[in-house]
Amino acid sequence: MSVVELEQVGVRYREIIALGEVDTVVGQGEVVAVLGPNGAGKSTLFEVVVGLVRPTTGSARVLGSAPGGARHSVGAMLQHAGLPDQVSVEELVRLVGRSYPTALLPEAVLDRVGLTAKRDRTVGVLSGGERQRLLLAMAIIGEPSLLVLDEPTAAMDLEARASFWERARASVGDGATLLFATHDLAEADAVADRVLVLRGGRLIADAPPAVLKQQVPGVVVSLATDAPSEVVAAWDGIDRVEAMDDGPPEGGARGLRIWADVAENVVVPLVDAGYRMDRLSVSEADLEDALAQLAEPSVPPMTRPLGAVR
Amino acid sequence: MSRAHSLEIGDPRTSGPSELQRNRGWLTLLATQVRVELRSTARSTQFVVGAVALPALLYAMFGLSNAAPSNVLPDGTHVGTMMMVSFCAYGVVSLAIFTFGESIAQERGRGWVRTMRATPLPTWSYLGAKMALAFVGGILIVASIAGLAVTAGNVRLDAGTWLALTATVLAGGLVFSTLGFAIAYATSPRAATAIANLIFLPLAFLSGFFVPLGELPSVLADIAVWLPTFHFGQLAWQHVAPAADAEVWTGVAPSGVTVHLAWVLGYAVVFAGIAALASRRSAITGRT
Repeated sequence: MSVVELEQVGVRYREIIALGEVDTVVGQGEVVAVLGPNGAGKSTLFEVVVGLVRPTTGSARVLGSAPGGARHSVGAMLQHAGLPDQVSVEELVRLVGRSYPTALLPEAVLDRVGLTAKRDRTVGVLSGGERQRLLLAMAIIGEPSLLVLDEPTAAMDLEARASFWERARASVGDGATLLFATHDLAEADAVADRVLVLRGGRLIADAPPAVLKQQVPGVVVSLATDAPSEVVAAWDGIDRVEAMDDGPPEGGARGLRIWADVAENVVVPLVDAGYRMDRLSVSEADLEDALAQLAEPSVPPMTRPLGAVR
Repeated sequence: MSRAHSLEIGDPRTSGPSELQRNRGWLTLLATQVRVELRSTARSTQFVVGAVALPALLYAMFGLSNAAPSNVLPDGTHVGTMMMVSFCAYGVVSLAIFTFGESIAQERGRGWVRTMRATPLPTWSYLGAKMALAFVGGILIVASIAGLAVTAGNVRLDAGTWLALTATVLAGGLVFSTLGFAIAYATSPRAATAIANLIFLPLAFLSGFFVPLGELPSVLADIAVWLPTFHFGQLAWQHVAPAADAEVWTGVAPSGVTVHLAWVLGYAVVFAGIAALASRRSAITGRT
């Protein structure tokens, strides 16, 4: 069953294309990350899904209805969401809970997001992280079939993020669907079944993280060396060289990340030329590498045909 | 791990029955929204002082100085009573315009109206709570001014007149809420306060809420007859003054309840139409 269906969805504000001809289908129980730089169209995509913005072209359906028609089954946590300052945390959560047919008790949801101690505080005195958790409480209180979370972990520390995603993965196992945006690519790689990549309002990739990473050929070699990066970049079989931002050179050695067809293309010339090598590691490309590759104009989009739901 | 950092997502499988509540329809939702609106507004000093205390203060300053029992219009209507009615009318119209106009505009500006639209919270429930606030605020305004009028202003009315006057004034407050709603949605959130003041103060002055129109140049009365607040004032004043005194007070002969009611309701329909169109435009653009 498809939970979100977007067909040629475009959103235009006068001359600005916020979203252009996005085609995708999100199936029940999927965890889908939406990635892209600022201004790529992630928030606009979410606004379309929750019915805040009407597409100027194409059609969108959520849980079989027009967006906005299924709000009783959708929980949304939007970026920069506004809240009334003089309302207490518990009052706000209780109010939103009342709007769903069935909802968690306010006490239970405040306990889940760790705001029990702040229940009587007014929204205006909450910290940024507390506001984020309050928005999360408002999104989950109705036990929605579709959760739309725009950068949900932005104000969380590492420990809180790990706990959040562990629970999120468990929750969607029984049929709930999760659509989230993040700038943390490692987070998306670890959590998402699928990744949608937006750039300039266009969907340039729609695939599982593993498939995206496979598109980056070769390996990534990380090491500290006294070989100048421009010298390494000129060797055969080297795609790209980046200096790692790990402080000043130690004894003339600097950290480099080198994208190569095979590790030998890096190691053999270094040994032959007598350069130092330290802290050598070889890995496959990560999601960041895959996105960097997708940004290349010569790389074709990696989008799936509409209706290809697992 | 500290409890404060333990974040969990709601899950039907793991939410025990004791953690769930089944909601019982729109009345429970409306009651909750009204309670939230009243409690949050009561926390606002600006509301308590600006909306409720100010009309009573203005009445104390300008109405009580005309409270002598001998200060009467030609047909015997007590001037202090007329001023009490004027300030009650001023207070509820002010509340309606500012409660709706300013507060909804501010909530639009902060993004709360937009956030609400991403939840199942219906607009009617939000506006219903605002109207309840206007109603309760109106009661407080009338009660505070009436309390001053009875204790220090030599105002004496029978129970039926008090009841009819209060009902008229409160109903007017609800009707003029449509103007506030129109201001809230048809103007930008930043401009709403200034525009509400620009509309309300001339309306109140030209309708004779501060100074009886009968004491001002007749050209102002010529303008006033086109204003909804003037006709609202006529509906309120007629409870305490015969037609002859009302004419002296306003400089215009009363036209009868039906005519004044038609003016007020006609304007309300126009304001509601503007508000609905502006709200629809705001929902389509989706930015506030």
